[in-house]
Amino acid sequence: MKIRAIGNLLILCATVALSYGMQVSKPHYAELTAPIPIDGAMHDTVRARSFDVRLDKVVFARTLKTNQFGQERLLTTSGLWAVVTADLTATSTSTTVAGGTWQGPTGLRYHHTERLSYRQDMPPHAVDPDLERNGLFVFEVPPDQIRGASLLVAARRFAPLDAQARISLDAVPTGADGQPTDVLPLYDLDAPAPPQGQTQQGQTQQGKT
Amino acid sequence: MSTVSTDIDPASGGETKWRRRGLVALAILLPLTLAETSYDSVREWLHGEDLIARDVEFGQSMPFGGSDWRLADLRGGKAGRLPDHAFAVIATFSVTVGDPDLQKQWLGCKVMLTDAAGRRWLPDFISGVSLPDGVMNCTSAIFSGAKKGDIITVGETFIVPEDAVKTIRPAVGLGSERPWYLRFQRPPK
Repeated sequence: MKIRAIGNLLILCATVALSYGMQVSKPHYAELTAPIPIDGAMHDTVRARSFDVRLDKVVFARTLKTNQFGQERLLTTSGLWAVVTADLTATSTSTTVAGGTWQGPTGLRYHHTERLSYRQDMPPHAVDPDLERNGLFVFEVPPDQIRGASLLVAARRFAPLDAQARISLDAVPTGADGQPTDVLPLYDLDAPAPPQGQTQQGQTQQGKT
Repeated sequence: MSTVSTDIDPASGGETKWRRRGLVALAILLPLTLAETSYDSVREWLHGEDLIARDVEFGQSMPFGGSDWRLADLRGGKAGRLPDHAFAVIATFSVTVGDPDLQKQWLGCKVMLTDAAGRRWLPDFISGVSLPDGVMNCTSAIFSGAKKGDIITVGETFIVPEDAVKTIRPAVGLGSERPWYLRFQRPPK
């Protein structure tokens, strides 16, 4: 009888210890429902659930030039502007890609800037299956958050349990101080981009498909 | 002092019997609880997705969302500002309005193009391409004030890659009919 009582007490203690251990080690709800990262590198096509993304170019600048409502605006920053050009395609159904986040080497995260008004080449990017589309993500980041950074791209800014492309920016050339080697004094967002496979049809020619 | 007789009597095996009954009840109740708690989510998901196609021959009308839908035309070509290897496509439908409460019946109206590989394209704005006169997009049609018996023309513009043009089929999904959607046969050449 005494042995049985001791045994019960031991089982109770073990249950309490196990429960406490599970409670303290339980991941936060936000971690449990966090986006599922899919790793990739610059110039590689990263396949997320609903879209593919290939990061082509990152340009750093101290000032951004843009036209807003017909007026020229110069946007300065105490850090650096990072303008990321990405090629986006939907996998099977037309969708939008709205979430772009710059994740620094220490884990600090910077969302796409809200200082620019809506432009067609800014998120949310409407993407279609098998039609490549060039889109920009623009971030304002401190210079020490560039070496070892990653770009996180998701269909939505908050995308629980959805795929999130995590593209390493190791290919960005940086100097000994960790700062990018090429920083433009001024970057004009409205400067005509080099030809990117766009055709301008002067005449409308329509016919049966 | 009288004794009270219960089923739970270890000596007669009553406890074992009740344990078994408890286990059986658990096996029934757990799936039922799961089904009950997920019912609303599943229903909401089904009503938000175009999952099951109802095929419609070209030239035929099909009642859908309280109105009769018929594919009027599917036209494509190089027009406006397009990426390389892409075509502009305009799909138009002739719709005879039955239930005039379009804001309820056509809520979440989605016109799309599907192809043989199962890809889907949603409408796009194409610089330099507009819908023909008298054709309105689905959202405009909802708020057009159309009455019962009116025949309206609903259309959308799309950008599709060259390799899909030969097999694309227009489709329509409405909130009141999901998970079913209409998929129309292409016009004969």
